[in-house]
Amino acid sequence: MKTKTIEYNDGVVRQFLIASVFWGVVAMLVGVLIASQLAFHVLNFNTPWLTFGRLRPLHTNAAIFAFVGNMIFCGIYHSTQRLVRARLASDFLSQLHFWGWQLIIVAAAITLPLGFSRGKEYAELIWPINIAVVLIWVVFAVNFFWTLAIRNEKSLYVAIWFYIATIITVAMLYITNHLQIPTSLLHSYPIFGGVQDALVQWWYGHNAVAFFLTTPVLGIMYYYMPKAAERPVYSYRLSVVHFWSLVFIYIWAGPHHLLNTALPEWLQTLGMVFSLMLWAPSWGGMLNGLLTLRGAWNKLRTDPVLKFLAAGVTFYGMSTFEGPLMAIRSVNAVSHYTDWTIGHVHSGTLGWNSFMAAGMFYWLAPRLWNTKLYSTKLADLHFWIGMVGILLYIASMWVSGITQGLMLNAVTPDGVLAYPNFLEVVNSTRAMLHTRILGGGLFLTGMILMAYNLFRTIRSGRPAVASIEVQVPDIAPKEGLSLIGGFFNPPVIYSFLLVLFACGWGFAQGMVSAVSLVLLVETALVAMIHLGLSGKKWNEWYEKLLESWLPFTVLTFVAVVAGGMIQILPTVFIKQTAGTDAPIQKVYTPLELAGRDIYIREGCYNCHSQMIRSLVGDVLRYGKSGRLTESIYDFPFQWGSKRTGPDLEREGGKYPNIWHFQHLMDPRSTSIGSVMPNYPWLYKQVTDIPALTSKIRVLSSYGVPFPPRSPDAILQSCIEQGNLITADLATSGIKISPDKEVIAVIAYLQQLGRYSAPAAQPAAPAPAVSAPAAPKQASAN
Amino acid sequence: MNHNTEHNDDGDLRHHSYDGIQEYDKKLPNWWLFTLYGAIIYAAGYWAYYQWTDHMQPGYARVEQRLVEFQKNALNSGAAPTDIQLWTMSTDPAVKSAGEKIFTSNCVVCHGPDLKGKIGPNLTDATWIHGGKPTDLYNTVTKGVLDKGMPTWGPVLGASRVADVVAFVISKNPTIEKPAP
Repeated sequence: MKTKTIEYNDGVVRQFLIASVFWGVVAMLVGVLIASQLAFHVLNFNTPWLTFGRLRPLHTNAAIFAFVGNMIFCGIYHSTQRLVRARLASDFLSQLHFWGWQLIIVAAAITLPLGFSRGKEYAELIWPINIAVVLIWVVFAVNFFWTLAIRNEKSLYVAIWFYIATIITVAMLYITNHLQIPTSLLHSYPIFGGVQDALVQWWYGHNAVAFFLTTPVLGIMYYYMPKAAERPVYSYRLSVVHFWSLVFIYIWAGPHHLLNTALPEWLQTLGMVFSLMLWAPSWGGMLNGLLTLRGAWNKLRTDPVLKFLAAGVTFYGMSTFEGPLMAIRSVNAVSHYTDWTIGHVHSGTLGWNSFMAAGMFYWLAPRLWNTKLYSTKLADLHFWIGMVGILLYIASMWVSGITQGLMLNAVTPDGVLAYPNFLEVVNSTRAMLHTRILGGGLFLTGMILMAYNLFRTIRSGRPAVASIEVQVPDIAPKEGLSLIGGFFNPPVIYSFLLVLFACGWGFAQGMVSAVSLVLLVETALVAMIHLGLSGKKWNEWYEKLLESWLPFTVLTFVAVVAGGMIQILPTVFIKQTAGTDAPIQKVYTPLELAGRDIYIREGCYNCHSQMIRSLVGDVLRYGKSGRLTESIYDFPFQWGSKRTGPDLEREGGKYPNIWHFQHLMDPRSTSIGSVMPNYPWLYKQVTDIPALTSKIRVLSSYGVPFPPRSPDAILQSCIEQGNLITADLATSGIKISPDKEVIAVIAYLQQLGRYSAPAAQPAAPAPAVSAPAAPKQASAN
Repeated sequence: MNHNTEHNDDGDLRHHSYDGIQEYDKKLPNWWLFTLYGAIIYAAGYWAYYQWTDHMQPGYARVEQRLVEFQKNALNSGAAPTDIQLWTMSTDPAVKSAGEKIFTSNCVVCHGPDLKGKIGPNLTDATWIHGGKPTDLYNTVTKGVLDKGMPTWGPVLGASRVADVVAFVISKNPTIEKPAP
């Protein structure tokens, strides 16, 4: 044994703290701007890079990856060093991580407003930036796990478990959802299309919330809550149970973003029931946080840190109750595509993430700069302003979301929509849109107060040097368990068998299912009896597992990988057009494809869905409900997640070309009271026809049956189709050249909902349904 | 600090400490366990019920069935209005004001606030592309003329609102004469 002094690397912690505060203010500033744009369309300024469709991705990416990203790196690096009693493994990797991440953010902040987008939510960044993200994430992972490998604390604390789950799961999700083939330096198509892309996207999207916004922040809670309260954590046992149930169950819940759509029913059911099962594991985290405060509640009155942390955990509990509620199929029929969803995510990001961030920063800054917090009063003011801001925000979104959901689904006794005019619904929630601006504005004010308070705190101090003395044995101690020891032991084997038999029961049929059920029940009983007898031994095994970072990491990976494989793989390997009686999507013409890419560039999917749900209200309003085969050539899919405007799945042919021409120039000219931005630049910019050659080549390699065309033939095709549209516009006295972008967009919009005949005719005639292009089959006469 | 906590401090506090953080090892709250088990059992039951009974048709088939039932019960299965009925409605101030509201929120953008036409044709003169009898108007509005950009309003507005808005248009067009009963 020798004694060694270890100096923590707090420099990079300080950097991440400052970066998080800065990007947090930026993200919320953009948030308030786009909230205002939804209420006052003139705030789009007729300027491409200031338009809602481009700024909304900037807002979400900045809030998630810039603000919370820097926050979790700050918290993880600070707490991990102390929890494992070791300096971060590499100063170089730490700096590479910090500067690489900031560079990615800057690149995102430039490319998103310029319209470079992959058209998938929270995954909009273009492929060169995706590669940088993966590289920097690997740098983070190496730096983190290397630190674990050289740790001087044998056992891994619960916070570390959550950090491990974060790092490996985000890597898995991010890489899978960003598989793509470039068509140019700045553009690519994802390799998944249609329903496959929908499934992968929401597996990623939902678990970005789970493993980027939740698990790392739970880890942070487990360090800073007991530190600030100076109380022991409530229950180690609860930590174990809620950690493993959370990471295992969370990953299955993604399809709840696709309820009542064309997604196969079994996946919808899985998405719903796993969301319900997620309720208790989530609340396990809340309980462990709040009950840690037992005996310290009186400190809440004086300590802003605990105020923020306690409120943050409470908001976590609230939104993890609201989430399962919204995942119930019938509730989702009302809540989906409305402002309710927006309110829900903001109770998570503002209530949980931002408040946890604030609590952590107020605790950290005085310690990192060896000083006192500049003003406790200002921090208290931040708390109350922020709290009122959140409450106004989510309450107004509840009111407007539920109003939208009920009005859009309302049907009169004589079988027609009670509110046929979409704009009537839009304009009935105006007051709530204004309330949201107020709420968001207040929250932003609080953030600025925090930035000022921290700035003054930092100015008053000096970077602190923190170090500890550790006893280093002469021979490095062995890890508690080998990889094999991690797997072959009763708890893991029982868990594996239980999942296996549950799958056998749920997915197989007949005898296999029945036998699986019997085995499932038997295994559960045996496991319980065994636990009763050998509980102590199992506990000792788990303690050993905690001394072995690699087996722990592998087990965590196994737990998170199961759900995704079972849900996604069947959909990927099934030939989607085989044996269906459904209409098959028509392959895009080159001009339509160009129009589609402009649609994605402008972020139209942020406000318009392309998925008519199997609900009476949806079908009466938009036409036949969507089928899987109708979007198989859509790379990426465009089913959307919000209807600020109406669904467009069967928009083609509903209005004449001239309507779209005028509507895109000034939506109010055809739709009184519309909140959509004007798109004047589409009438000046020229469609990028040359780019189509490599785009079509990539899509053909995915199996999209484009007829073979030379670059000249592509150009010719575009001119011909463009001329048809401009000739039609000319009959209404409009003169425009066919090479303008608006013509491509009109070509795309008029094609939506046009499908070719089914591949296989059904044996029996389909139920009374008219041609797919007709908007409403359930004619009232 | 209450008595209970004091007692537990000695009882089930784990001996290990991480950077000064200690952990109790409290039993899981019963209500929390019930929530967890209850959700799991509910999930299994829900899966069994929906996957293995006829209850769970594909969504598109389910909604079409519901629409058929819906229409069976619908009140609008009666005969379409006749020329004279529509004309008579056009003289009823209550119908006219109801029709005007519908016109303002749905038709104005194409036919103009004065009905003199913008994207769509003028509705106040004697020129009718798809027939000028009240029932012609009714059919045009109900079925739409997709080639010309007239949407299919029947299923959107419903029969009675289509009749109201047609009556309003008739009241604004002096060239439409009272049809023979």
